[in-house]
Amino acid sequence: MLRHYLVLATKVLLRRKFFTFISLFGISFTLLVLTIATAMLDHAFGPAAPETRQDRTLAVQYAILYGPHNMTGNSAGFKLFDQYARNLPGVERLSLFTRNFEAFSYVNGQKVQSSMKRTDGEFWQILDFRFVEGAPYSHDDVDQARFVAVINTTTRRRFFGSGPAVGQTIEAFDQRFRVVGVVEDVSEMRNIPFGDIWVPLTTVKSNAYKAQLMGGFNAIALATSRSSLPAIREEFNARLKRVELPNPRQYDTLVAPFETKFENFARTIAEATQGFAVRKSPTFAESQAWKAVVAFTVVGILFALLPTINLINLNVSRIMERTSEIGVRKAFGASSQALVVQFVVENVLLTLIGAVIGFVLSLFVLRALNESGIIRYAHFAMNVRVFGFGVLLALAFGLVSGVYPAWRMSRMHAVEALKGGRLR
Amino acid sequence: MTRHLISLIWNRRRHNFLLSAEIFFSFLVLFGVVFTSLKFADNWRQPLGFDIERVWNVNVNRTGPPRGPAGVFATFQQLVVAARELPQVESVAAAVTAPYDDSNWNGDERLADGRSVEYSVNEVTDDFLKVVSLQLVHGRWFSREDDADTLKPVVINRRMARAIFGTDDAAGQIIHLQHVPDAPPDEPRGDRRVIGIVEDFRKNGELSDRGNFLFHRFRLDVDGTTSAPQQFPAVLVLRVAPGTTAAFEETLVKRLQAASGGWTFDVRPVTQQRLDMLQKYATPLIAIAIIAAFLLLMVALGLTGVVWQSVTQRIHEFGLRRAQGATMGNVRRQVLGELAVLSTIALVAAVLLVVQIPLLPIDAHEYSLLANMSTERGVFFASVVLSVAAIYGLTLLCGWYPSRLATRVQPAEALHYE
Repeated sequence: MLRHYLVLATKVLLRRKFFTFISLFGISFTLLVLTIATAMLDHAFGPAAPETRQDRTLAVQYAILYGPHNMTGNSAGFKLFDQYARNLPGVERLSLFTRNFEAFSYVNGQKVQSSMKRTDGEFWQILDFRFVEGAPYSHDDVDQARFVAVINTTTRRRFFGSGPAVGQTIEAFDQRFRVVGVVEDVSEMRNIPFGDIWVPLTTVKSNAYKAQLMGGFNAIALATSRSSLPAIREEFNARLKRVELPNPRQYDTLVAPFETKFENFARTIAEATQGFAVRKSPTFAESQAWKAVVAFTVVGILFALLPTINLINLNVSRIMERTSEIGVRKAFGASSQALVVQFVVENVLLTLIGAVIGFVLSLFVLRALNESGIIRYAHFAMNVRVFGFGVLLALAFGLVSGVYPAWRMSRMHAVEALKGGRLR
Repeated sequence: MTRHLISLIWNRRRHNFLLSAEIFFSFLVLFGVVFTSLKFADNWRQPLGFDIERVWNVNVNRTGPPRGPAGVFATFQQLVVAARELPQVESVAAAVTAPYDDSNWNGDERLADGRSVEYSVNEVTDDFLKVVSLQLVHGRWFSREDDADTLKPVVINRRMARAIFGTDDAAGQIIHLQHVPDAPPDEPRGDRRVIGIVEDFRKNGELSDRGNFLFHRFRLDVDGTTSAPQQFPAVLVLRVAPGTTAAFEETLVKRLQAASGGWTFDVRPVTQQRLDMLQKYATPLIAIAIIAAFLLLMVALGLTGVVWQSVTQRIHEFGLRRAQGATMGNVRRQVLGELAVLSTIALVAAVLLVVQIPLLPIDAHEYSLLANMSTERGVFFASVVLSVAAIYGLTLLCGWYPSRLATRVQPAEALHYE
């Protein structure tokens, strides 16, 4: 039966090529945009190297001191994490590292700009970098303040051309580092691991950072299991209340919450629309995560609304053209249900053809985005998750746009239909 | 005629409702894109307030051992002197933010009369005016005269003067800030004396929105402890002599490194930063405009298909009308007229929805697109008119070919069809 429907559907689609073209254009374009959006989200938030253990990782990415009239700061200092974030219950590993800063080097008279991070040894244990050469620096390298560096493949190409880099030296920030490892490029959208050059944090020119409560540092914590995440946040927030603040009369509250990656992103969106005041609540980011999911869904549905209405209109027109066929089938005893199924199958088939075109186009667009370099080291790609989601979207799109016209069609009276009557 | 058209449309209301809905959403999409584009065009026409010809930004990274506020200011003083001694440098100033750089510094203050003002801030040394060619419109710029002032001297832009004092010429006036009853005595607060008005300083460039701007004065020669500084300088802005090439960059950096004793510097070509900034503003609009263009193309094709189909189906109706003496023009007007009525229904609903936006009570920094729509009335209404015209044009264009089909019907043939 289904095979019969499919043959019929192909015939119908080929009969009016202009209509088929318009429908396919709309469907493939809509699915193209939705697939690209999905691929971008997956690229930023899906579990992939180096953030393979993302589901049980938390990060502190801002710290602010609040007073009755003032606020100051934007990131935490080494001392804050060193004194208050060690030995949190449920935390397997804790890594402290600086925010990214830009380093400028001269290679054969050319200026090279690199994004640099100073990290501890744990950084390489929590994050799962893919090494193409050498290995990360060890705890011992950090303790001894050895001038060693891990670089990414782009930096290797800039400094050393196509040859190997391990054992060679690079100059950055007036310091010379011996390269010990080369890792694959990490996208800028993964801001925790992102960088061009990573060096031990002890190589900084002065060790004044060890005494600073505020400024320059982020921390990530790897929990033993997902279930211990709430307890970790609570304990750290409680400890922050006990921090001895340098000037309690002016600033009496310190906010520096642990966030998941998606919460961090949701908070950034909220800040863009509601201002930075939202940072004052340490639990704000947690409350925003589901709102961001809702917002994405609403934007996606709003975007798909216009193509859906367009396709419904086209489908209604297509049915009107076939009123005599419907009349004949009804007169020979076809049930309304059978007609509905037939039309929905036709529409789903059309949508799936459109989806295939959309997928192929999205491969090209994603490659163009990767090559444009708008986002540093972005590598948007199609994978099983994105593909599966795209197929689901296509089926939903086909059903939604097919069911209403089919229902209208099935209610047509046989006599009227045979006369070439119109839909009411 | 119109009544007849409306009754025809009413007879096919279910089908026509969906067509109207399609036009309704198309308008909303088009309106968003048109408004943003017109806003950018409007911003582009506004004065920028500075000039970047031969201007270089040098970012200062205070690496190395900490030296306390006094030490930082003293080092900056040495840097300015060192840079000025180079023959290729015409003038040099220290500042917190420079034209087209990434950092922004915003403030908001409650005035004594209860109003609150939001503004962007920069703190600069006296030579800044000369380096980036700010246009002074009233009063004067910072100078040694201000050393003895007990109030903090500030220079504000025209827009801020108008917002606070209601007049452009606010030189000499004082910005009274609200007294905070339980503020600690050592908190740096106090009234500001407006000594001059500049045209503007839209540091984020041609596409950025206009806003209030305020300059504080940096003094590098004080020890930095008498009045606690709000910020340290972060960038040196310098104007180089004509004919200076990029080769001078390395000389400059070496000279500055020697003068600072361990800090690092990077020279950012302002022309490149300008392009980056323009790209940052324009990229989202371009992406959305491309998507919107495809959406509208899809709608246009779809509409053409639907009208075509409905004309083919009603061929005998048109034939009958022709047989009864309707001219070709009459028939064509009927097809296009029906489309126009459908568009009008959709557009009235959409415009009624959209004009609510300027009436919404929107907080200035919430949802910047909506906030812009409520403050920029001229651009807003121009966008409404332009979008309405474009949607009418689009729908009538979609009806053009099908309506020609309808007129080609021979009465006899059409009647035969029945």
